Amino acid sequence: MIEARNITRTYRTRGAFTGERVVQALRGVDFTLPRGGAVSFIGESGCGKTTLGKILTGLETFDGGELVVDGVELSTVPQRRRASYFRRIQMIHQDPYSALNPTRTVDQILGDPLRMRARQTGDRAAGVVDRAAELLELVGLEPDGVLPKYPHQLSGGQRQRVVIARALTVDPEVLIADEAVSMIDVSMRLGILGLLRDLRTRLGISLLFITHDVATARYVGDGGELHVIYRGEVIERGPTDTVIQSPVHPYTQCLLSAVPVMRGLEEPGPDRLVPLAALDERTRTPGCLFAPRCPFADERCTAEHPVLGRTGGVEQEHACFHPVPRRVVAVETV
Amino acid sequence: MTDTVQLTAERAEAAAEVSVRDLTVLYRTDQGELPAVAHADIDLPTGTITGLVGESGSGKSTLALSLMNAIPAPGRISSGSIQVNGVGDVTRLEGRALRRVRGRALGYVFQASQNSLNPLKTVGKQLLDLGRAHDVQDMRGLVRRARELADEMGMDGARVLDSYQHELSGGMRQRVGIVLALVLNARVLILDEPTTALDMLSQAAVLEIVRKVHRQEGLTTLVVTHDMGVVSEIADRLAVMYGGRIVEDGPATEVLQRPAHPYTRALIGATARITGDTDTARALPGRPPDLTTVPRTGCVFRERCPLAMDVCAETEPQLLTWAPDRRRACHADPATTAATGEGA
Repeated sequence: MIEARNITRTYRTRGAFTGERVVQALRGVDFTLPRGGAVSFIGESGCGKTTLGKILTGLETFDGGELVVDGVELSTVPQRRRASYFRRIQMIHQDPYSALNPTRTVDQILGDPLRMRARQTGDRAAGVVDRAAELLELVGLEPDGVLPKYPHQLSGGQRQRVVIARALTVDPEVLIADEAVSMIDVSMRLGILGLLRDLRTRLGISLLFITHDVATARYVGDGGELHVIYRGEVIERGPTDTVIQSPVHPYTQCLLSAVPVMRGLEEPGPDRLVPLAALDERTRTPGCLFAPRCPFADERCTAEHPVLGRTGGVEQEHACFHPVPRRVVAVETV
Repeated sequence: MTDTVQLTAERAEAAAEVSVRDLTVLYRTDQGELPAVAHADIDLPTGTITGLVGESGSGKSTLALSLMNAIPAPGRISSGSIQVNGVGDVTRLEGRALRRVRGRALGYVFQASQNSLNPLKTVGKQLLDLGRAHDVQDMRGLVRRARELADEMGMDGARVLDSYQHELSGGMRQRVGIVLALVLNARVLILDEPTTALDMLSQAAVLEIVRKVHRQEGLTTLVVTHDMGVVSEIADRLAVMYGGRIVEDGPATEVLQRPAHPYTRALIGATARITGDTDTARALPGRPPDLTTVPRTGCVFRERCPLAMDVCAETEPQLLTWAPDRRRACHADPATTAATGEGA
């Protein structure tokens, strides 16, 4: 469905006094998102995961690599015809409060893209009303109650469902969920995650799930892959459960150690790990990018750059010279 | 774990740093004055971290703000008392006396404290403003204390004071908020959603710091959050709010292991966790009520409750002690609420 090969993106800014500042947001990311599949990208703020989502939806350009959608390499497609490819990839934004126009009713919010889509496909616009109701039912809302309402009359969870329904108006094949549940009340999060999982199984929609909250990545359904991204580079990837249960890269281990422990129901993992320092995206090094924060870094790590691969008899791919599985994730006690 | 529980129980019997009794906060709406907090009774035992959990609109932030007697119009505290150790009843204070208490007795770290710093002034200048507003004589001492606190939280104190807020990361701004809340030696620290908008690593760091400062400074701490994971990570005691009522409280691990209110049970079941079966977890049905949609009679949770009975529509359950150091407001048998299965 989507194949990304070695995508890079570098931002250069020039301040009047500070000189040129270069931020490598993505340093060669590749992945394959199959039809109906799910790939999650996790990492802390500033790791490039949002840039990746923007590139895939055509909201941001990339300076190196290839993006293949439905078997077509996008750089071979003229600019004006790319829209039809990006139509298949829709974004669900983080903040359902600002993603909807407050002056328009749900009816209007869904109606416009539906009419546009009807013109494209040559369908009659008369079907628009039925289709809007159908989509709302699909996302678990009651059409008659919701259609005449303005966004402020809905709860956060309901608003996010409207955002998802709007993304579905143009018949997408891929949904990109960038922190889609982090602004929503904890009690409503599983409902949204369950809906995304449903869309995968019922409509065969592929899901690219971007988040800093590793626990939510477990809820997007079977066959999911987890990619851990650090400073624009994937440093560990594999089946979601494998990476969570036996992570081998110290950065992944730090991320997993940071997940709150439900004391009384869970016990902290015995090998919990904390990074040595805060993220500084300006440091340049020929070695491992994580080495300055890594408790286990040695001379080789600061001198040589590890590449993603399967070494050390580990099931998942990783970019670490010293891959050691550690028990960092909380353990259930009841 | 038994030790902790016992310790907490002993502390609860000891003096409470803050005692809230029968607190009702009303907000004026076009449907008349409606309660955002109704008849709340809660103690913050000296030296403990209490977590106050609930969905948006449950009244948890209103309750936290009323501890400072800082309810903004059109809201007001209509009845009840809030006794703070060494201060007296905060609800009776006003003007100068009230301003003194805010900061010197009670430190408050606001929701999105990332955005509550003045973008035009360095943190140090804001610290001096704070000192002047509180008639601090020894400004040097104030600065020394701020640097000390900042160092304690793993920051370079001098650098932080010279920084503007945009030069600090989200996690660091949160820490600065805590420094400013404690610099006047407040004994009670109130944190409203301290980790919202932070990523996992910063969240873990901030929680660790709250734990450390709490212990080193011998504070009494209240953490207000909607995230069950956050409170269960750091709180000794847990209070759950719904529709303006405290519906359950007790020692944190006990409440998590044996929730006695169907709402608490559902909230735990709805939390995305790193362990356990993902299929048994489910979101709460329905939506959280707001001021105008809270049921006026009977139990506030009954419309979303899997155990609702006839009596729930007629009589509002009182928050009563049902086991040592455990209270709940529910008509159902405690055995039933504990046995309804995961995520019911």
